[in-house]
Amino acid sequence: MVLALLALSPFLWLLLMSFKTNAEIFRFPPRLFFEATMANYGALWTSEFRNSFANSLIVSVVSTLLSLAIGVPAAYALSRWTSRGSGTITLWILASRMAPPIAFTIPYFLVYRHLELLDTLTGLIIIYLTFNLSLVIWMMRPFYDQLPRSLEEAAWIDGATLWQGFTRIILPLSGPGLAATAILCFLFAWNDFFFALILTRTEAMTAPVAVVNFMNYEGWEWGRIAAGGTMIMLPVLIFSFVVRRYLVHGLTGGALKG
Amino acid sequence: METGTGTGTTRAQHRFFILCVAPSLAVLALITLLPSLYLLATSFTPLSLTRPETLWDFSTPLENYSHLLQDSRLHNSVWVQIKLSFWTVLLQLLIGLALALLLNIRSRLLEALRTVFLIPMVLPPIVVAIIWKVIYTPDISPLHGLLGLLGWNVPALITDPDWALTAIIIADTWEWFPFTMLMVLAALQMMPQELLDAAKVDGASPWQLTWHITLPFIKGVLLVAGLFRLIDSIKAFPLIFILTEGGPGNVTEVTNYYSFLQAFNFSYLGFSSAITVALLAATVALSWLIVRLVGWGNKID
Repeated sequence: MVLALLALSPFLWLLLMSFKTNAEIFRFPPRLFFEATMANYGALWTSEFRNSFANSLIVSVVSTLLSLAIGVPAAYALSRWTSRGSGTITLWILASRMAPPIAFTIPYFLVYRHLELLDTLTGLIIIYLTFNLSLVIWMMRPFYDQLPRSLEEAAWIDGATLWQGFTRIILPLSGPGLAATAILCFLFAWNDFFFALILTRTEAMTAPVAVVNFMNYEGWEWGRIAAGGTMIMLPVLIFSFVVRRYLVHGLTGGALKG
Repeated sequence: METGTGTGTTRAQHRFFILCVAPSLAVLALITLLPSLYLLATSFTPLSLTRPETLWDFSTPLENYSHLLQDSRLHNSVWVQIKLSFWTVLLQLLIGLALALLLNIRSRLLEALRTVFLIPMVLPPIVVAIIWKVIYTPDISPLHGLLGLLGWNVPALITDPDWALTAIIIADTWEWFPFTMLMVLAALQMMPQELLDAAKVDGASPWQLTWHITLPFIKGVLLVAGLFRLIDSIKAFPLIFILTEGGPGNVTEVTNYYSFLQAFNFSYLGFSSAITVALLAATVALSWLIVRLVGWGNKID
């Protein structure tokens, strides 16, 4: 218990800071009961930060939906269909999840300059597919491995087409897996900092980059920085509690059934 | 089920599966394979954004690579990387293992605690960086405040050349110990109870149990967790970007960060590409090791 508090104290400190006035932040030892202020959040909400927050939401949601649409059928097929190439495909998928972001950033930066995709939401959505599509295939494949083949085979015998067997029988059964995968995709896109830092300027700037900009350009407004940080972590915390059981699984790509 | 439905069905299935996989492979090829090849291509050019004519200049293809061997700042960054990776992976494995062993008792309270321990890992990396920036900034830091009360005046860790890397290691360990902890916990829960019972009957002490039964059982998981953390440690960016910007001097400048500076501060994209190709090769090799260890792709049902 003490251990947990100790481990979490850095996080709690930031949370508290976001409700403090600047004078309170510099007070030490801190008062246990201070007058909580929402001023930091208010200031954020009337600034550009609101747009960045919206950008983050749009980019994360769209890239999640796209990766699911493209990746889920592939995960299903790879689970049902074994071929000699599947080892290579697995390595390829793992490598694209593991690659240092800068490996993709340099070529994307060069190409986006020509395609005028720099500082656009579309540009970010595309580059987020590099990790989210692989994540979908990886998370969903073990789910399908667990569903017995006899399920869709029975449907085929009853005259369903292959596609119907997938959409009507298999897809509904993988609901929990789909939800967990969707949330993880959302989180990875939401948490990204590096790609957004390089590939956006002003228009498509996401929330994490916006918070860092407060630090660099608007002096050390600690209260606002803390409030911005808290707002960025809020969706993450909520979602992670929902999918905590699948977290290990998603982070390791099913290396382990956790 | 009827296996004898004929080759017609299986051929149709085959076609259907290809149709399912094709879009993903096509998209992945377009968004990961092609860019990697492009990265490889630019690594053979002296590309610099200030000189547009260098974009497709392949006259001295190996110049960047020979420069790799001579650039002492790069060599320093590799050394910093090794120190960072070694200490973070080691500490995360030890702390994660210790906590997992402590928490591996089924009870409501611990269940809740386990969830609480997840927080550092799922926080956006940028928020983790901000949290530690606060802790390492003397004016507002609870840590410095506390030490000050005890009469210790500690210098700001992240601006002190002797301490900056340690400060990063502490922050990174805090962020990622839950990962190793979770993996070990998952493995512990798969451990057959009979194994432990049998050892207990033979009169093994708790220490002996841990050392001779538990540890060998989770060895594989520790190795995989360590490899995952090793690969991730190569990508360390937000912490360094926010806390130290590679400084003071370049004591916290890891290879990834140096490559970022070369590309987007000095605009030597060509040289940076060469560094990145080397990094990419390292991650692919480590990923290959993971695939081999876990044995994916060989599994046939």
